[in-house]
Amino acid sequence: MNPFYWLGALTVVAFLIQGVSGMIMMLYYIPIPNAAFSSTQYIFQTVYFGRFLETVHLYTAYAMIMLAFMHMMRGYFVSVQKKPREMMWVVGMVMGFVTLGFGFTGYLLPWTVVSKSATDVGIGMISALPSVLSSAIMFLIVGAGGDATELLRFYDLHVVVLPAVLLVLLTLKMYMLEVHGIAQPPTGQPPDAGEARGLPIFPDVTFYLLGLAAMFGSAMLLISAVFPLSLPPEYTPQLAAQFTPQPDWYFLWIYQILKISVFEGAGLPVALSLVTLVFVVLLVLPFVDRGRTRKIRDRPAYVTLGLIFVAELIVLAYWGLESPGQIIGTEEAVLVLGGTAILVGVVSWAAYRFQAGRGEDHAFPRAKGALRTAVGFVSLLAGGATGIGWSLNSLVHLFVMGASFSNVFELILSCGLLMAVVPLTVLFLYSLESRYGSLKRRFRILDIESGNK
Amino acid sequence: MKPTNQIVGLLLVVQAVAAIYMWVVTLFATLSAGGFAIFLAIDLLSFALVAYVYTHEKWGEPLNRAWIVLGSAGLIILLLSSLYFS
Repeated sequence: MNPFYWLGALTVVAFLIQGVSGMIMMLYYIPIPNAAFSSTQYIFQTVYFGRFLETVHLYTAYAMIMLAFMHMMRGYFVSVQKKPREMMWVVGMVMGFVTLGFGFTGYLLPWTVVSKSATDVGIGMISALPSVLSSAIMFLIVGAGGDATELLRFYDLHVVVLPAVLLVLLTLKMYMLEVHGIAQPPTGQPPDAGEARGLPIFPDVTFYLLGLAAMFGSAMLLISAVFPLSLPPEYTPQLAAQFTPQPDWYFLWIYQILKISVFEGAGLPVALSLVTLVFVVLLVLPFVDRGRTRKIRDRPAYVTLGLIFVAELIVLAYWGLESPGQIIGTEEAVLVLGGTAILVGVVSWAAYRFQAGRGEDHAFPRAKGALRTAVGFVSLLAGGATGIGWSLNSLVHLFVMGASFSNVFELILSCGLLMAVVPLTVLFLYSLESRYGSLKRRFRILDIESGNK
Repeated sequence: MKPTNQIVGLLLVVQAVAAIYMWVVTLFATLSAGGFAIFLAIDLLSFALVAYVYTHEKWGEPLNRAWIVLGSAGLIILLLSSLYFS
């Protein structure tokens, strides 16, 4: 059995850990603005293992969001959303939105300056939506009673409404899984050994899943013990005025899109529509991608689009993390996001084309080979680009700021990286040559030499 | 006794000792959060290895030595770390 088939199950395990740790914290937490922070501080400082509990709760929430995302992307790449499992995908997507809702509502509860400021920015954006929609959402999540109602509504959503909705959706998805069964692997090879033999749920599958869950749990425990949380200061309007709000990492990509200068002010509804469009496309994907084939090798366009989507999310999130509060120029955004899309598109296309000649009658015989080629390309491109940029930067530093130990050391390091990329590129090309045949033939396939296939 | 049974037996002993030690020390409130996490992680990791050996043995699939070595190394590191935390 492949552990990657179990990402959804591990997400449920993370949800269960969240439930248990959350219920223990509920014994001490008070959802009132004057007491929320002090009760959280009490859990941190006085409750036995309280800080550890808070840390496990937060890190498992992060893991849950990451696992849900990986589960979704894996499903996208191996095309599990195809008939007859369209509605399973839709329900799964709604579960993903609910998971993000957990993150959004839970973030406010400690009532720190970080959490309250970021949540206020998020709530402020709702006002850019059409008035009917924004009024309805504001009534639901904020009410009319200011901070007290807002905190209570968020708490209710976090501990009652969202868990209940998620459990209903989980039941629905399990029922659909029971009806349609697990999607067969799209490789054209025989189904996974476990599925082929029809292993019983108990004890075989249960033990396998419990083993994975135990590994996941031990990893969470150890990470929480090694990197314990520290509580930011309590929210006060005065302190918030000096603070640049920034959302948690899973909303950083939206945050970064909203900071692009073209979307400032009157452009905000356009940005929100764009973000909504991303979610809508993901939701209705099974009804857009109607092709019958599920094999990765036969779906270059969708696979490339998926890779670009993941790359853009990572770039936007990292960029948002590194530039809190800064407005991003439109040209800069087009260059970075367009450059990322082109780079990933070219690498994906190259990987497909390199694989094209491997087999006589296959367009894309082996996903693993393609992945290796793509990873090699991306690593060398990234290493080379970093080496060039870094060494140029170090040279400028050396000339402008004079020769200090750190400047010279930085230059040596950057040149070392650049020098390492060259033999690695030769080695990579040599390995391609030896594995896939003549490079001249490869280049011909890439249309570089003759312009024809 | 088959080697897989020996592995499972040893892991169960490690699991039982870690569990008993953890609860006894926790009872006297002398265990730090780090120590608690390590002993619980030892329990969970041994269980994961037991499940791995059990399922693969039952399905007639060969055990991957790398996983066994990696898991055992992890257990040894955790047991040594527990000396520091307890």
